[in-house]
Formats: sequence, C-alpha cells, structure tokens
Amino acid sequence: MNRGAAGRVLDAGLKLLDRQLIDSQGMLAGKVDDLELTPSQDDPQRLYVTAILAGPGALAGRLGGRLGHLLERTANRLRDSPQDRPARVPFGVVKQLNSAVDLWVAKEELETDRLEQWARQTIIAKLPGAGDAPQ
Amino acid sequence: MRLSELLGCVVVDERGRLVGRVHDVRLVQDGPPIGQFGASLRLLGLLVGRHAIGARFGYDRGAMQGPWLLRWAVGLGRNGRYVDWGLVRVVDLEHRRIQIAGSVEDLGPPEPAR
Repeated sequence: MNRGAAGRVLDAGLKLLDRQLIDSQGMLAGKVDDLELTPSQDDPQRLYVTAILAGPGALAGRLGGRLGHLLERTANRLRDSPQDRPARVPFGVVKQLNSAVDLWVAKEELETDRLEQWARQTIIAKLPGAGDAPQ
Repeated sequence: MRLSELLGCVVVDERGRLVGRVHDVRLVQDGPPIGQFGASLRLLGLLVGRHAIGARFGYDRGAMQGPWLLRWAVGLGRNGRYVDWGLVRVVDLEHRRIQIAGSVEDLGPPEPAR
C-alpha cells in the first residue's frame, strides 16, 4: 500500500541503485551505490534522502564483510577528504531521475571525481608516454 | 543512516514473528524542497519478503505475474509484504533487525509503485 503518498512513488533499489550519474555536460560521473537517509528535524521518524553515495567507499557498505571493510578503508585513504565517508553527491544537485540520474553540475565539482583525479595525476601522468595521448 | 543498512535487515512483528527480510525501500517525493531537485524523497515503507531471488525479479510486487516457469523456478508464492514506515518501532542496525507494531498477518502485499 502507498498510504499517505501524495507525490511520485518509487522503489529505491529498483529505480535508483546502480543507476548511472550523468553530469551537466553529459559526462559519466559515477553510479548510485547507496543513499544517505537523514531524519527530519521536526519528526525524527521521518527520513529523507539527502545524498547519493557513490564510489568504492559506498559500494563497500553493500558488499559487507572483510572485503567491504577493506574496500572502504582503501577508498577513504585515496579520497582527498579528512572524513572517513564515501563520496557524497547532495540530492539538491539532481536534475531528474530517468533510466539514469541527471545532475545540474559538472563532474569536476563532485567528490566522486576526486579518486579519478588522484589516479590521473599520481599514476597515469607518470607513465612513460602519458603526455602523448590524444585529447 | 544509509539505504544499504536497511536492505537485508530481518523484520519481525510485535510478537517477534518473522515477516521477512527488507528487499527494497519505497520512497515518495513529497518532502520539503531540496536544492534544485524539488520536493525531497521521503522513506514511505519497506518491501519485505522471504525469497530474495524472486524479489530481484520483481515477483514480490503485485503486478508481476509471469512467465510461470520462471516464477516456479525462483520458488515463489506471493509472500512479499509491505510495511508502512509508520509501523516501525525499533531499528537495530547492529543486529540488523527491525521490529514493527502489529501482527504479520495484517500486512498486505506491496502495490506496484506508480
């Protein structure tokens, strides 16, 4: 039953999890690996989706066990953030939910891009011939 | 709290009888505005059942009927249940257990999301 539902109703696992994030330029910006649920200040029983969690740190929570724990620790070490938490995309930058999740912002503005930037600068750029790659 | 913390939790009724495991979470877009998205998504209820594989194929939702061979292969009767979030009394994430008010017999199957 959908009692008390005045707006659009959707099942998170079916319609949101594992969907592709598309940034404002049409570039791939990660996937929806988890959702952050935050209690309302007025009524703690009411939970709202406040952010998309993406990247290996978020996926680790769904894997669970030792593998998940190891993946989360590794992802947190690589991310450029003092906080031990997965990359977070505030739900306020979501434009619309389709077969993919369209965003209002460019991927460079997202935390999800930091691991890719780190890999590009720290590993890829130092490989012999990396500067010769066509743009 | 994360969505992944709710998925897989065991749900029991007020007498401790098993309802099933959380396979999905139903949301409704009727909350306060959030950024440029508009009304935020509120947690409306839990889709609970005993057959995880069947739920993955959508057989725990009311509109899903066939093909009968696949339905038989994943071992399903219609045992999916919908738990309104307002019924939830205790969320014990450490033991991955959710206790609800009322009886398991009062819970109906989930309607298709619209």
